[in-house]
Amino acid sequence: MEDNFSNALLLMGVGLTTVFAVLFLIIGFGNLLIKAVNKYAPEEEKPKLQAADNKAVASIDPAVEQAIDLAVQQLTGGKGRAVKIQRL
Amino acid sequence: MGDILQKIYDMTALGNLIDQPQFLIMYALAFLLLYLGIKKGYEPLLLIPIAFGVLIANFPGGDMGVISPDGQGMVNVHGTMKNIYEMSLPEIAHDLGIMNFLYYALIKSGLLPPIIFMGVGALTDFGPMLRNLKLAIFGAGAQFGIFAVLLVASATGYFSLKESASLAIIGGADGPTAIFTTIKLAPDMLGPIAIAAYSYMALVPVIVPLVVKLTCSKKELSINMKEQDKLYPSKTEFKNMRALKIIFPIATTTVVAIIVPSAVPLVGMLMFGNLIKEVGSSTSRIFDAASNAIMNSATIFLGLCVGATMTVDAFLNWQTIGIVCGGFLAFGFSIFGGIMLAKLYNLFSKKKVNPLIGATGLSAVPMASRVANEIALKYDSRNHVLNYCMSSNVSGVIGSAVAAGILIAFLG
Repeated sequence: MEDNFSNALLLMGVGLTTVFAVLFLIIGFGNLLIKAVNKYAPEEEKPKLQAADNKAVASIDPAVEQAIDLAVQQLTGGKGRAVKIQRL
Repeated sequence: MGDILQKIYDMTALGNLIDQPQFLIMYALAFLLLYLGIKKGYEPLLLIPIAFGVLIANFPGGDMGVISPDGQGMVNVHGTMKNIYEMSLPEIAHDLGIMNFLYYALIKSGLLPPIIFMGVGALTDFGPMLRNLKLAIFGAGAQFGIFAVLLVASATGYFSLKESASLAIIGGADGPTAIFTTIKLAPDMLGPIAIAAYSYMALVPVIVPLVVKLTCSKKELSINMKEQDKLYPSKTEFKNMRALKIIFPIATTTVVAIIVPSAVPLVGMLMFGNLIKEVGSSTSRIFDAASNAIMNSATIFLGLCVGATMTVDAFLNWQTIGIVCGGFLAFGFSIFGGIMLAKLYNLFSKKKVNPLIGATGLSAVPMASRVANEIALKYDSRNHVLNYCMSSNVSGVIGSAVAAGILIAFLG
């Protein structure tokens, strides 16, 4: 029983230290990743939606515009953008 | 006529039920769990299959209960002792029934928990964690319960070190992790541990407020995270969150795999599920499979098989009571550990953290965060802490998987 307890104590020390170490590393790597992505792969400026027809565009709700843009991004895996929305 | 009636009586389970009325306790337990799952909505996706597994496993003659082998792996097959690990799967199905076949093929092999973790990953958003990376450390603090109960359980002398570790992992508040660890370390305890783990997860809305009430002051619970952000704004900006979310699971798997390789079945599958979600439309089909069809099928078989391990002999003993008590202690200690880490952080940092964020460092995503948010709103109606809690909550999933990996590496 004493052996069990001392092994459990050792495991507690090693286990908690390792869990903290791994999460510290993930936080550190995460911060490095954020910096690297910001530097080397910043998202391209979102082109403003082009007004094809002022009247037609004006009648489109901005929330709908955003939803269409997000749907296009989703469908194209982030490669495509809605640049012109026109009510037909 | 008398012979026919005797044969009909022998065909039914009535004789066995009269000889061993303990079966009735198992039926009562199954009905209680079914009630909690169906009527009360406590983790219904798992509690209902588990409860039904308990029910069908305890009908004498039904051959649906999972048979526990002795220390040498020997089981009694119709009067002959056989080593179950030397039996082929068709042999197990033929001699011991389909539930034993499913158990040894899907559960004992360790297949289903990582598969479920893949689905969990596909449904997890690491965005809140990436936006509040510092808070992820509270996911480590909340693993304190696991190791504290490991110590307590081994000190009692009633549980071996492997059994203590399986019991303690309930403190991770993560069902698949608890099941995976128990399969590796103490498979005989699988049923009660799974029930305890999922029951306590369902009781998060009761346990978290209880521990918070016992350990936190009104002033601490009123710490407004958004105001702290205004006072001490973060310098981090995000220029491409989508790219970050794609790289993050790959980087995390690599880091964890190098430090704790035994945690890879869980963390690796969690991150794989998340990766196929984040990649977007080009992997949408496999994302859909992982998060729906595969995960749902795995959940059904996991629940039924775990329930079927809870036969009269395996469940009705003092060990089960020890597991129920120890599990509660592990859960409580985990919440306590996260809160204490948040308090310690506040001693040294100008930017204060609401201790509720520490309390959500245990897994149980997203229920723990939702409960913490409700508590925070009671003290300050403008204090929405959900996003902050999600950071420690999601990191808690990684933390508990790492803790499980450590236990398996040392004791497995």
